[in-house]
Amino acid sequence: MKTTSWFTLYKMLIRTSIRSRMQYKFNFIMASVLAALIQISEFLMVALVLHKFGAIKGWSLHEIGYLFAIMTLSKTLYRTFGNEVHHLEKYLVGGELDQLLTRPMPVLLALLPQNFRIMAGEVLQGGFILCWSLAGMMHSGQIGWTVIPFSLLVILTGAIILFSIGLVTATLGFWTTRIEELQTITEDAARTAAQYPLTLYPKWMSGILLTVIPVGFVNYVPSLYLLRGELGAWVLGAIVVVAVLSLAASLRFWKFGLTKYQSTGS
Amino acid sequence: MTMITARHLQKEFKTPVVREGRFSGLRTLFSREYLSKEAVRDISFDIGKGEFVGYIGPNGAGKSTTIKMLTGILHPTSGEVLLGGMNPHQERRRTVGRLGVVFGQRSQLWWDLPVKDSYDILAEMYGVCAEDKTKRLAQFAELLDLESFWATPVRKLSLGQRMRADLAASMLHDPELLFLDEPTIGLDVNAKRNIRQFLRTLNEEFGKTILLTTHDMDDIEQLCSRVMVINHGQLTYDGSIPSLRDTIGLPTIIRVTYRGSFHIPDVISSAIRITGVEGQIVTVEVNRKEWSTMDILKQLEQWGEIEDVEMKEPDFEDIIHRVY
Repeated sequence: MKTTSWFTLYKMLIRTSIRSRMQYKFNFIMASVLAALIQISEFLMVALVLHKFGAIKGWSLHEIGYLFAIMTLSKTLYRTFGNEVHHLEKYLVGGELDQLLTRPMPVLLALLPQNFRIMAGEVLQGGFILCWSLAGMMHSGQIGWTVIPFSLLVILTGAIILFSIGLVTATLGFWTTRIEELQTITEDAARTAAQYPLTLYPKWMSGILLTVIPVGFVNYVPSLYLLRGELGAWVLGAIVVVAVLSLAASLRFWKFGLTKYQSTGS
Repeated sequence: MTMITARHLQKEFKTPVVREGRFSGLRTLFSREYLSKEAVRDISFDIGKGEFVGYIGPNGAGKSTTIKMLTGILHPTSGEVLLGGMNPHQERRRTVGRLGVVFGQRSQLWWDLPVKDSYDILAEMYGVCAEDKTKRLAQFAELLDLESFWATPVRKLSLGQRMRADLAASMLHDPELLFLDEPTIGLDVNAKRNIRQFLRTLNEEFGKTILLTTHDMDDIEQLCSRVMVINHGQLTYDGSIPSLRDTIGLPTIIRVTYRGSFHIPDVISSAIRITGVEGQIVTVEVNRKEWSTMDILKQLEQWGEIEDVEMKEPDFEDIIHRVY
């Protein structure tokens, strides 16, 4: 099949997912409102921390806001398209992956559009903090306007890195079936940690966050260059390379994992 | 032409021993302890074009595991599968594009959407052009009576309707080979008849090759030209239904009602075994493989004057019970 027809099919499946969701309008609205509420409370938490400490280890309020916003937006992008990777456990426990495996298309392409999420609350919240941080730093002359397009690139590469981490974690489920606890560590805890500058943490921990679970490359490493002029322009190339390598490695691992799928008894 | 080839198929399930307590998931991940279970052991067979094969066995015998290996869902621990010359494990996408697969326990349709919408998506997925789609759906709608629930969301269909809709979905891309895992499970008599009729048409008129698993022996008796029996992960029988009857050699039961007095001799032929005498009625079991019915009746006539004879052939269900 040609790439264009894969794309047509993908779009069709996403439309289907949205239409299915709209069958339960009340649930959809409630879920959206709740998600927005969670986002607001999360933002208040961060605002409180920032207000209390002002700056953390030489990082200003705006800089930390930027780290937080990039992470939120990258995660939102990942979860909008790749939510089902995060929920693979459901498919493993229920054996629902069976159906997807009998379809003549790549399993991920069948899996991802099963549940396309519209995450307006997250986009608004992340976008707001991003604009506020950028405006603040531009106002003080710390950064120029070129940071804006680069930030978009960073959000994209960040989403790819988070997706790869999510995919590797999910793939481990082919051996363990249950993956929720592992996800708490590799996805939630790691991501939360990277909302703050990695210099906060002991060496071994920031080391892990830059290698085994490379969430540091989502926001921290690019910020070093974009906001503070540290390291050098090669950083932007490096995050693209990290994103591409993570994605390639995770896809390979996923393919291998599929051969270990055990399904369920019937 | 061979449509399905299975060579020394073997599947061993290894499940890590689940730990109790905190972080059980994480500890299970790094655990070295495994429970292994051989679900399928060294199964080989060939199925030719146009065959209608029933694949039966008790629960947990390895039926579903075999079907899932054949359809590329599970990878065998060792052994090889070829479907029309293609390996579903090495070329999954290309191979499954030419299969029809129906799991009775599970629908492949989009749960919340009208039935017809699922067909639109599947047509796109399998690259079926609009003309073929319309033509085939019209055909299926007639054979399976789909019209009445065409616009109903799948979740609101009755089990029988859903099964019919699923069958049509599996045939939309006109595959040569059809795998059905318990397609009649939980259906009423009418729905079963409807589905059997459809499958017979597919096999006889369109020459489709079909492999079916079921627990309903009527499915097997009415549809299949060949039966394979699996038990404890191994093929225990592979052949036609009549020869399965012969192999098992279940006795025919004859109930004879005598008029007036009768006398059972002390020495009777070894072909006849008396299982009960009740007033004027004598029940005997005979093995019809060794003796013809006429010979047996002649013998019975010598015991007294016969008023009525009732014969009961062994039930297919009983035969299967014997194979398990």
